Amino acid sequence: MNARLWAIMEKEWLEMRRNKMVLITMALIPILLVGLVLGTTFFMQRMPESEVIGNDAPPIPPQLQNLDPKTAFIIMMNDQYMFYFMLIPMTLPVYMAAYSIIGEKETKSLEPLLATPIATWELLTGKSIAAVTPAVALTWLSFAVMAVGARFIATDAVFLALVRPVWLAGMAVLSPLFACLSVLSGVIASSRLNDPRAAQQLTGIFIVPVIALSLAVLAGKIFVDVQVVLYSAMVLVLINLLVLYFAVKLFQRETILTRWK
Amino acid sequence: MIKTRGLTKRFGDVFAVDNLSLDVAEGEVFGLLGPNGAGKTTTVRLLTCLIAPTAGEAWVNGHRVGEEDMAIRQCVGILTEAPGLYERLNAEQNLTLYAKLYGVNDVGGQVQKYLDMLGLWERRTEPVGSFSKGMKQKLAIARALIHEPRVLFLDEPTSALDPEAAKLVRDFILEVKGEGRTIFLCTHNLDEADRLCDRIAVMRQHLIQVDTPAGLRQSLYGRKVVLQLQEISQAVLSTVRALPFVHQAQEEDRKLIVSLDDPEAQNPILVRHVVEAGGAVQFLTEQRHSLEEVYFTLMREEGETLSAGQEAPR
Ligand SMILES: Nc1ncnc2c1ncn2[C@@H]1O[C@H](COP(=O)(O)OP(=O)(O)OP(=O)(O)O)[C@@H](O)[C@H]1O
Ligand SMILES: [Mg+2]
Repeated sequence: MNARLWAIMEKEWLEMRRNKMVLITMALIPILLVGLVLGTTFFMQRMPESEVIGNDAPPIPPQLQNLDPKTAFIIMMNDQYMFYFMLIPMTLPVYMAAYSIIGEKETKSLEPLLATPIATWELLTGKSIAAVTPAVALTWLSFAVMAVGARFIATDAVFLALVRPVWLAGMAVLSPLFACLSVLSGVIASSRLNDPRAAQQLTGIFIVPVIALSLAVLAGKIFVDVQVVLYSAMVLVLINLLVLYFAVKLFQRETILTRWK
Repeated sequence: MIKTRGLTKRFGDVFAVDNLSLDVAEGEVFGLLGPNGAGKTTTVRLLTCLIAPTAGEAWVNGHRVGEEDMAIRQCVGILTEAPGLYERLNAEQNLTLYAKLYGVNDVGGQVQKYLDMLGLWERRTEPVGSFSKGMKQKLAIARALIHEPRVLFLDEPTSALDPEAAKLVRDFILEVKGEGRTIFLCTHNLDEADRLCDRIAVMRQHLIQVDTPAGLRQSLYGRKVVLQLQEISQAVLSTVRALPFVHQAQEEDRKLIVSLDDPEAQNPILVRHVVEAGGAVQFLTEQRHSLEEVYFTLMREEGETLSAGQEAPR
């Protein structure tokens, strides 16, 4: 791979390692989510069916009708959480990407960096990959931890539902795509904004539709299958390309150096 | 090595650099002087392809600015106004990153060479944030040199440093100068410019004057020698004034200040005539104008032409 790109990635990772706060914040959400899934599953399985489902039971999608209502409901519940899992790589990298450019503007390290023979795309890609990889790795790691935990805690039906192809495909394909989207938004934001937090709010636009989808699943309106995942992946690739186009267009070395007040 | 023709940079309505034409020879230490806001940093940014000129042309090491930017970036090193080091990383990591970005062949060897040169090899694993300002500045210069560039740009390398740290950095620059690189130095420190630079350009948006430090002095004041006599008699004064090569001779206390073009050749003749006229010579020295005086004179003249220019349309 391109040596300059690698050099940037290495440097970003080194800096991340020295920044304990980022690491702690990064690990917090996945730990909470794993706890949530395992905890809910554990307790719901031990509760009587009437308490789990309550009076206004949501419609059970046809794919789950062969199961008993309690198990079906737990699966629907977990499916909803799985969307949040895919959002993990969305929430953190945006901040890291935005911070990695805004921070360099603040410490004035961007100017000597831009004076080296590095191409804009190399700089942006290096920083983006550096921000995407830990988030995706963390997501995959927590998914694995959750799967192993579920093997012991959950009934076979619930466990198999968690690791069914939909979610494996989701983890493999959607997570990185969400992470890319998030990072690219961070890059865009950082060439216009001076506050990484403001950049983080920008991803709100992308998070809303995902949350909406997760609620539809919980309400039994849809049941996601591999096809849905693949369609979503295609849509995401398109959105990513669009955002990348704007990111490269908007990131102008000169403007960032000189219109920085 | 560096050539600019009518180089101009405008920010909105402000001309940061206006119609600047310079020639810097290979191996030269070239100083750029000027008050705050004169456009020194902007000039350096233009020549290192960080920003694009509004008008005019420039070449660095034979490469045209705006057309061969990558080639220029590869053969120049720059110390920016702020050192801009990664303070969380250590000295070795900072240098390694840049060595890789510049595509240096022997990354480890180059990094070690400069860490040794700075006396930082033992402290290479400490975060740069813990270094003194002078140390950081030297590290930033080493970072600019890691790929052995032919041209080195230094933007105010010693401002914001205490005298001791400034001396450390200055000595380091002298060491680098010895390696035959072209150095383009922006500074506010006139004494430093005088000591380090082969030639100096004084600018304020446009070029005011460019010459060697000695040449600047001479063009403004000519050359003067000071004769201190036991007593200045009328006979001595008229003898001196009658000499064909003396432009002017003034009396100050017991000193005779004589303007002439070539003291090396003319002083012996001058002294002989003074002695023959009965003058008792105690001391003979050349009158030195500090570069500071030169600078202020230039700036004053500049102010006068500016205000004259403003009055013209009325
Ligand atoms: N990014 C910018 N946007 C607008 N004006 C600018 C910008 N950068 C510089 N200028 C203006 O251009 C002029 C020259 O600035 P420059 O920083 O090059 O001066 P300088 O000689 O380096 O000054 P100093 O000694 O303070 O470092 C100033 O009037 C400054 O206000
Ligand atoms: Mg400056």
